[in-house]
This record gives sequence, structure tokens and C-alpha cells, in this order.
Amino acid sequence: MSEFKLHPTRRGFMKGSTAAAGLGALTLSPFGPAFAAKFPSRNIKVYVPTREGGGADRNLRAFTSIWKNYLGVNFQASFYPGAAGRVGYEKYMGIAKPDCYELLFGNMGPEVLNWVVKKPTFDLNAMFYFGQMDRDPGIIFVGRKSKFKHIDEIVAEGKKRTMNVGVSRLAHPATLGVLALGRHTGARFNVIPLSGGKNTRAGVATGEMDFGALPSGGIARRGKNFRILAIFDNVNPIPDKIKNAVLVNKHFGMDLPPLIAGARAFGIKRAAVDKYPDRFKILTDTMNKVYGDPAYWEVLKKTKVPMALFTKSSSQAEIEKYVKDITAIGEKYKDLLTGKT
Amino acid sequence: MEFDPGLFIGLFARTFTFWWVILPAIFLGLIVGAIPGFSAANTIIILLPLTLAMDPEVGLIFMVALYASSRMGAGIPAILVNIPGTAGAAATPLDGYPMTKQGRGQQALAISFVSSVFGGLLATVITLLAMPWLSQVAYYLFSVEMIVVMLFGISLIATIAARDTLKGLIAGFFGLMIGYIGADVVYETPRGTFGFLELYDKVPLIPALVGLFAVSEAFAVIENQSILSERGKAAMQKAGWSETLEGVRIALSKWWHITWTSLIGLVIGVVPGAGAAIAAFVAYQQSRTFSKTPELYGTGHVEGLIAPESANNGVTSGTLVPLLVIGIPGGATAAIMLVVLQYHGVTMGPDLFMESPELAYGPFAAMAVTYFIMIFTILPLARYMSQITVVSTIYMSPIIISFTLVGAFVPRQYMFDMYLALVFGVIGYIARKTGYHTAAILIGVILGPLLETYFLRALKMSEGDLMVIFSSTLANVLWVALAASLVLPYLIQRRRRLRRGQEAAAGGTTE
Repeated sequence: MSEFKLHPTRRGFMKGSTAAAGLGALTLSPFGPAFAAKFPSRNIKVYVPTREGGGADRNLRAFTSIWKNYLGVNFQASFYPGAAGRVGYEKYMGIAKPDCYELLFGNMGPEVLNWVVKKPTFDLNAMFYFGQMDRDPGIIFVGRKSKFKHIDEIVAEGKKRTMNVGVSRLAHPATLGVLALGRHTGARFNVIPLSGGKNTRAGVATGEMDFGALPSGGIARRGKNFRILAIFDNVNPIPDKIKNAVLVNKHFGMDLPPLIAGARAFGIKRAAVDKYPDRFKILTDTMNKVYGDPAYWEVLKKTKVPMALFTKSSSQAEIEKYVKDITAIGEKYKDLLTGKT
Repeated sequence: MEFDPGLFIGLFARTFTFWWVILPAIFLGLIVGAIPGFSAANTIIILLPLTLAMDPEVGLIFMVALYASSRMGAGIPAILVNIPGTAGAAATPLDGYPMTKQGRGQQALAISFVSSVFGGLLATVITLLAMPWLSQVAYYLFSVEMIVVMLFGISLIATIAARDTLKGLIAGFFGLMIGYIGADVVYETPRGTFGFLELYDKVPLIPALVGLFAVSEAFAVIENQSILSERGKAAMQKAGWSETLEGVRIALSKWWHITWTSLIGLVIGVVPGAGAAIAAFVAYQQSRTFSKTPELYGTGHVEGLIAPESANNGVTSGTLVPLLVIGIPGGATAAIMLVVLQYHGVTMGPDLFMESPELAYGPFAAMAVTYFIMIFTILPLARYMSQITVVSTIYMSPIIISFTLVGAFVPRQYMFDMYLALVFGVIGYIARKTGYHTAAILIGVILGPLLETYFLRALKMSEGDLMVIFSSTLANVLWVALAASLVLPYLIQRRRRLRRGQEAAAGGTTE
């Protein structure tokens, strides 16, 4: 576990270095003093079940760099990578106090699937997600030098020989999409978990893997190194960036739910919300203000991730439906995810 | 990515004007490199607010200078007190620390500095000149080939076992078993974790490293008044500036050794995820294989110190190649650099070399200038740094233990890791007292998980066909080289013994 304090902006740094340490956070925020007497009166700790430097780290920094202005306190992220997110969740559920000062920030899709494959030690209903940040569908992509120009060529090749597919991990919406496509078309796709997006991109870029499956954002912004051939969603969220890709359901006549591979959101213990509903309300109210803050969108622009992949608001009903859908499809393809077939 | 002398000369000249950034970064890097648990990666994370606020070019130069100097800094405690600051310096104490015990700590530091600087400098210049070809290495070294590369490093266990076969092999396999603790890389199933959540992500390297080397050393040295031998103490009392100069002379006389071992580092560094530890062990193993005096390795042999130090500095520029050419960082520090550059809107990839050559080639110019400045700043310090070895073990042992326990805590900030370092310290102490080699255990701990990752990946790709390990031409060439490097030293030794026997017999007959 390692920690950072979230001060990513130049302005934040300048303020932090010049203002008196105790006064800085409160006086610089227009909303700080109002809330300081009640909640929150100290920094908020965020448990991240992945390593620094990935998509969750990037999104968390962006969101909290603005959110802290509305809450008047800083966010302190702690990273607990390991066992496909299991370590971070188990740590959060095991040691975090249910007082709304300790949150979790994860990628719902892979992490919900992880619990389908291997049950956690805690009660899954003892926590829930809120504040979704992005909606990034799973895609199939190839390297710049790949001979495959269309998904049909991949499926045709997969019927002749077993193709190796680089994926971030087995329990992942994008992996599920590839396995479902293989089962539907009769193509033989052998998924190889490469422990994260960085390694997956490397495996595909170097040609060790025939193709890969990941969330679209990280690949679309490296458009010159990769080509996206298929999308596991019912719409192309970034048509200006993904030009010649097919929608898997439409193209192959399948009925997969949208396999949103990048769906980062905050998590909280249900007991914290039951005990302190007023605190949770402050969290969600201020969070909603972040979505409408132009400064937030300026920060997001700098990440180079296509802006259309970030959600403009967060709907609790949509989050719950997404978790339910992913759990259901995970159960359906559990045999493939656990290597039992 | 074509060679343009004008561009490079201009770039170097411009980079020198940033000496005011490079100099503090060097000192910071040396300090964080020397403290176990700290590294360039976590220091850059801590300093993110600073680097994000900097101009991208200045920020990049700062990060590169810190990265290169931290690599060198990690070798200092490895040589002086048997504490490798990072896994990349794990092979350094094998010969560095025995030199210190003999009272040659100052000389060892000078040798290490010169090897690091020239190894790093050479690798950087070669990277600049051969970028288009080097970037292709990642397109040929796949999982199957990497299995053999890992085995080159792991075969060091066999080398160590040559002194006491049974104990060497037991220590090596014990280390490999520890290395396999944690969730497997395919199905993420936890194995051998004893229910500890903290072990799901494998046995953390720094606690294992500092426990096996430093804590066990602290337990062992407390039994004596000084870490120096009697001869060592006498040598230290006489040591003056000449020791540093002698170290420089010795290192420079081994220029060819520095050259080829740094190239091993460079090639391994280019492969994403391989890292400095494997490079250092492979270089050490290869150095011993081709040595005329392999029996001297592990006793304070100069070449045994040069090989890992020049190799792990060769890795430094290598890890930046995949980052800049295909946008994929070769290691943890490069990954953090990517975050900073992306924040400034810099997109990595081949186009960067056309659109912003100063940013694409800049890191290498910064690295070369850093190494150049570093040699003048650090060499005069060797004499003073080596004085730490005369401190009585009554003070030294508690200092080592407290420093290393903090170091064990820092990377993940788990209290568990401090206890783990103590457990490894006890294991290391028992190993020392019973004649088992701690380095053999450590090689297993460091390289075991990497070997397993590549092996399982290759097996999964071949759908369980074991013959996959012989499925590529390059891998087969590497297999032959591996077999040769294991068998040849034995044959050469045998031939030498026979010749000596014949000469002795001939001498006896003459008399």
C-alpha cells in the first residue's frame, strides 16, 4: 500500500507551498469553512485496489482535485493492489471505519466479476457503489503492424487455429466479451491474462498476442499504435476516435449487455451511510457539483482520454443495473472465466 | 528516428544548461537510492505536485536525473553494509561487501561509481545511436525467450551450489518456493499465503531483500566489534585518496568488462517488465562464466562488482526505449514518468520523434549529462562514505535494523512488511550460521515469480504443450547458450586442473 496526497494542479501546488499549512485547505476553498465545523473535518481516505499509475489512479486524481474544493479537505489515496482487486476490497471492508471518512475507488466491472468467480470473505451487500466517473466499453484491438483489418478476419482465422488474446485479467468484462464472441461464432480464442492494461498493450503491440481486449479509452488515445476492430456496446461512444469498428451485438446478432470495462466509481460501507446519512448526503451533493464544474472537465481534458467516455452525472439506478447485469453475465460464463471448459 | 548529429549536439548543449535541475536531482536520487524501500519511482510519486507544476522538459530532466542517480545510490549501502537499496542492487554485495570487509570499501565504491557511470553512459549513447534497432528487441523477446533469460539468472544458484551442492540447491529451491507464494498469474488463486492478505500480491521484495541481507547481517556482525576483518581495519587506517584513485584505475582497466555487461543490461532493460534485478544477476552469472578466475567470485572480486553495477545502470536507458517508441513503460519509474508526460499532453510513440525530438531524445541526453556530472560529484565522497565501516557494530547493528525496518515498511506501508523483514532476517541468520547461501535464497525469491509468470503464460498460449519452450529459433539459440554457459566453465576448470596436474607431474619428473 502506498499513498499520495492529491494536489495535481499547478495552482494547488502553488497554494500549498505558500499558504500556512493549517489554513491552506480551508481558506482556499469557497466551501471549506461552511463544512469544516461539521463534516468533513479531516482528510478523506480512499482505498484503491489497483497500483498507482493506472486508469483508477488517473481518474481518482482528476475527480478529487476538484471535489476537495467543495469539501474543504484533501483526499488521501492508499493503493492496495493484488489478486485482481481482492486485497483492496478485503482491506477496505476489514479495516475501514464506517464513518464516511473512508471510501473505496475501483473499477466496478472487473471487480464485481471477481466476486462472481471467487466469493469474498465479506458480505457483498455490506457495501455499494456511488459516483460513477466513466463508462468505457470493452473493445477488441490489434497492433499497428497486425495483418487483421476487420473483426471478420479475426473470427475467420479463429476458426482455422487457436488465437491468443491478450487481456488484462480473466475476470474482466472485455475478456467476457471475447469468450462470448468465440462461443457464439465457433472461433477459438485463448485468453491470456497479462496482469494489467500496460502489459496487455505491450503484448499486442509487440505481436506476441494475436489481438487484445481492453477498455476503449487507453487504446483510442494511442490511436497511432493500435486499431480498434470491435466494440462490446450498443453504441460507439467515440465515433471520431473509433472509425471502422463494428458493434459486436449488431454485427454478429448477439444479445450481450453493454460490457462496460471501465466503470470507475466510489464505494462505501452501507453501515457508514446508515449511521451517517447526513454525511453521505454531503458527499453526494458535493460530488454532483463536481460533474458540473468546468474546471473538472479541464482536468479531464489533460488526461487525453476521450471526453465522451466520462459520465456527466451519476445515476444510482444505472449503477445498480450495471452491477446486476455484469453479475448475471458473469454467472452465465463462469465456466469460461474459471477455465473449467 | 534518424541520426542527426546537429540535433544531438544541440540537445546535449541545451541539457547542460539545466545543471541547476540535474544537480539537486542527483543528490536526492543518491539519497533515496541508498535508503532501502525508497526508490526513484516512489520518490517521483511523492514529488508529483512538483513535477506536474514544472515545465515538461524540466520535469523530464529532473525525473531522469533522479532515476539514474538513484540506481547508483542503491549500490552504496549494498557495498558498505550489505544492504541493497533496491532489488536491482541485490547482486552488488556478492563481491562488493567482501571487499569492504577486507578494508577496501573506498576502492569498491570507486569501482562501483566508475562502472555505473561508464556503463550507464555507454548504454545511453548506444541507445541514442541505435534506437530504431533497439526498439525492435521487444518484438523478439517473448515469454518463451524470457524463460531462458530468467534461467540464465537462476542458474547462478547452481554456480553457488558448486561450492556445496546440496546446501546451495536447498537454499535456491527454498527461495523459489517463497517466490511462488501469492496469487497465481492466470486464475489469481492464492497459494501458500497462510491466510495473510498481505501475501496475495507475492512476497514483497524489499522486506525479503533487507531481511535476508541486512537484518541477518546486523544479527551476525553484533558478534564482532567491527564489520571489518583485522586486516581490513589495518587497511582502513592506511587508506587515503589513493584508494579512490586506485579504484578508478582498476575500473578503467576493466573497460571491456564494463562495456559488455552494460550491454546485457541495456538489452534486458528494453524488454518491458524485465528490470534491473534480472539484468544484474544475468550479468554476474555471465561475468563468472567467462572469467579466468571464477573461483574468486564471491570473495571480493572486482569483476563480480563491476558486472552487476554496470548492468543495472545499462537497464536505466533501456527501460525508456519502449516508453518513448511504443508508449509502453519498461519499468515502474518509466510508468510514473508516463503519467507526468501525459498530464502535460505529451503523447508517446514514433511520432514523438518527429513532432518533439527534444522530448523524445531529451531523456537520453539528460541521462548522459547526469552520468557525466555525477562522476565528478560522487567520486570525492567515496573516501568519506567508506568511513561508516569503522563504526562499531554496537551502534551499527541497531542503526541497520531500524533503517531497514523503516525501508521494509515504506513501499507498501504495511506493518506486516516490517515483521516479514524480521522473519527473513532470522531465516538469513540461520542460513549464514549453517552454511546456506542467502544469495541463493534471494535469487529464488526475486526471479522465481518472474520465471513462473513467463512459464505459465507460455504454457497457456500453447494450451499446455510443454514443448513450447523449444518453439522459437531465438529461444533455442538461447537454450544452447545457457547450456554452454553451464557446462563450459566446468570443462574449462577440468582442463585447467588436468594441465596443472600434468605440469606438476612434469616438474616432479624433471626434479
